[in-house]
Amino acid sequence: MKAVARLVFTYFTGAPLLRACTFVGLALIALDLYFVATQPGPGEKLWLAVLGLIFLFVGSSLMPVTFGRLARSHSIGVLPGGRFKLLLSAFITILLVALPVGLLSQGMSISGANGSLPELMKDPRVRDFVLGVAALTFTSAVLFAGWLYLAIWFLTSQRNLAGLFKGLLVVMLLIFAPARDIHDFTVSLIWNLQQIAVLWFVFGAGFLLWPRFKAARARRTRERFAGLARVLTGRTAGREFDVLLGTANPWLLVAALALPLLLMVRLVGEVPSAWLFFLTIFSGVTGAFSGQAAERSRALWLRGSWSRAELFVAVERSIWRHNAYVLGALVLVIVWIGLDAEFPPVLLAAGFSLVMLGAVLSTYLGLMITRGLRWPEIVAGVVVMFSLMALGMLAGFETVDLTTVFALEACMIALAMAFRFIARRRWMQIDWMVCRPDRALTARGA
Amino acid sequence: MTSTTVEASNLNKAFGEKHVLEDMSFGISPGDVIGVLGKNGAGKTTLLELMLGFTAPTAGAVRVFGHESYNLPGDIKARVGFVPQQDELLDQLTVADQLRVIASFYARWDSALIDRLCSEWGVNVNARIKSMSVGERQKLSILLAFGHKPDLLILDEPVASLDPIARRQFLEQLLTLSTDEKRAIVFSSHIVSDIERLANRIWIIKEGRLDWQGDLDSLKESIVRLHIRGTGPELPAFKIPGVLNVRRDGAFATAVVRDWTPEAQETLEKSASVQVEVETLGLEEIFVELHR
Amino acid sequence: MFILNPQSGIPIYRQILEQVRRMVASGQLPPGTALPSVRDLALRHTINPMTISRAYSILETEGLLERHRGRPMTVASQSKNHSQLPKRLQQIGPLVEQTVVAAKQLELSEAELVKAVRREWEQNDD
Repeated sequence: MKAVARLVFTYFTGAPLLRACTFVGLALIALDLYFVATQPGPGEKLWLAVLGLIFLFVGSSLMPVTFGRLARSHSIGVLPGGRFKLLLSAFITILLVALPVGLLSQGMSISGANGSLPELMKDPRVRDFVLGVAALTFTSAVLFAGWLYLAIWFLTSQRNLAGLFKGLLVVMLLIFAPARDIHDFTVSLIWNLQQIAVLWFVFGAGFLLWPRFKAARARRTRERFAGLARVLTGRTAGREFDVLLGTANPWLLVAALALPLLLMVRLVGEVPSAWLFFLTIFSGVTGAFSGQAAERSRALWLRGSWSRAELFVAVERSIWRHNAYVLGALVLVIVWIGLDAEFPPVLLAAGFSLVMLGAVLSTYLGLMITRGLRWPEIVAGVVVMFSLMALGMLAGFETVDLTTVFALEACMIALAMAFRFIARRRWMQIDWMVCRPDRALTARGA
Repeated sequence: MTSTTVEASNLNKAFGEKHVLEDMSFGISPGDVIGVLGKNGAGKTTLLELMLGFTAPTAGAVRVFGHESYNLPGDIKARVGFVPQQDELLDQLTVADQLRVIASFYARWDSALIDRLCSEWGVNVNARIKSMSVGERQKLSILLAFGHKPDLLILDEPVASLDPIARRQFLEQLLTLSTDEKRAIVFSSHIVSDIERLANRIWIIKEGRLDWQGDLDSLKESIVRLHIRGTGPELPAFKIPGVLNVRRDGAFATAVVRDWTPEAQETLEKSASVQVEVETLGLEEIFVELHR
Repeated sequence: MFILNPQSGIPIYRQILEQVRRMVASGQLPPGTALPSVRDLALRHTINPMTISRAYSILETEGLLERHRGRPMTVASQSKNHSQLPKRLQQIGPLVEQTVVAAKQLELSEAELVKAVRREWEQNDD
């Protein structure tokens, strides 16, 4: 049990920054709990708790990666009950993160009433109601947190396109499935508990039995879908530059985009704002490619006659060639959905421009990443993402002022050009010994 | 001897606050095979990557075939080959595809040589890189640097994951490459026995400085262990120039010295009236003693 | 032909020098014998050829080997090699010193050592 407790502790205190986040989160939640417990109608102060929860969650965001790394390590197989303890630690982490939600929902459920929580709880009916709501929100939060950690795991452990999309897919399902449940009032404690039991049973069984499965599979070697793999990797003659950069095969990405897009259409229905919101997110995927361009270009340095400045231009060209396919696919989807849902042309135009904006901004933001992902780029990315989403929703409103929208878009284009300027300057001095965070660490220990 | 292949003067490299390389000056001539030795973290990888322009020196300069390494022109890059410490293979390709992709960047690529080496070294051309073992991947990384017959070949721990037979095959191939066409080879390795076979010059990097730079033969002749015996029960005090460490034990003493010459032996024997027996040291022993 | 140990503290070129000198002096390498080329020797023993060619150059300077263009190096004829007594004595000097030191360590007397040498000399006469 001590091992489990130690594991959970590590998840929340993995890096100095995350440790700070956890601390801040706990402090905010504690503060809000105090309000809930002692003051009447704490509704307005609930944002403190939400903020605290976000901090707490961010503080534990390394849990999936740590979990994955430990799960694959040799030592976990050797330690007594290692895999089980690891699984338990993950479950406990999720319970801990969901706990404040349950506690705070008590405050929410009595907002508007007179009197503080302890006073009101003396009434048995109120107590049953409050505890019922608490149990419900707690179990819902457990489910939600579990899926969210899964999404984060895809995003952080497989730092490639496949991972990015699995993560996005999970996030999307996450936003819509429970949202629909709550909307249709199909949520209930029993249903939640059942889901938790089934999901964790399946996950737990799979996790614990994985080593045996792997051993059995190793005994049977099979040529897996060689033909299909060849089709997917595409013909590479004449595009070796793109192969090394990772931009040789846009079809894979197009295929990976199409499915979630169609899924999204079914789920979102015909709410223009949400639709535009998701389109801009998808157009941002171009940043995933340009973000790894710096480290992948290392293999190109000695192999061609490009100077660093010339390499930037060649890389830019290759990425835009790749983007063209992705954007083309998105545009087709826009047109199809727009015609199908009979959106006004203005909305379609807004959709096009947002997608282009999203692509340009994220492409050049990605190209700016030449020393690993550091704070300036993270902040810029978050700002850009929120601005685009806000712009998307704004453009979807019925009473939108088009000139405002276009003015804002013009600003963002200027921002994208600024990004390009910065990216180009950074590429002229690119240092391949530090272009990845782990490389930077290695370099300093050289 | 003109150092036409690589020339460096007062090379310094720091990453932020940490100084990795300090004040290095060296030259490489065609036909040199340089073995680079150093503890982990001494700066070997930084030095090798600096020579090829992956990063820029903080001070000083390094030139390859007369051109500054940070801005190597295309024709010079075609004469340089590099095997990095962490391989840069693309997992989803097959060996044949990977070779084809890299070959396309070079005007001259010796496919016959690569095919022969693939079969000699047991590299399955149709295997997918994702499914290859670490040793196979390393062999492929080495092949990728041989194909265009570079005049300067730089290898960063190229054999760390190879078994002795694979290593021997690799050494033989490197020897052929270097003797037949006067190429320059620089390789860093922890496997001292390989360096002893292959290198004619040794660089020992200690804490970012070139602690030793010279012929392997001279190194073995100048760093020796002395067994000193006095005539009486106690050893008289004596002074040895260039001593690295000394151990006294009554009438005996053992000392490891650098820059040893036969004249120094005579001087010592006469001045301190002791008897000196010289023990020569292998390269691994020398490396350990230099770091005591 | 040679026993070479790259891990020894004795540089390879010196190992070759000593072995060639001893083999020539003992008659194991009669004049006119062709020596393996630098490249062959390097590849056979997997060692750097520069150290081998250094040894060969030194031996050529000493007059023990002869260089021929287009053909491998050969052992020089005895006339060139028949150096004066002091030089030959100097060659065996290190071995003598080692033997004397060892004998002294074992506390053998000069006479006993000479007796042992004489016995070996007579045994080796074939």
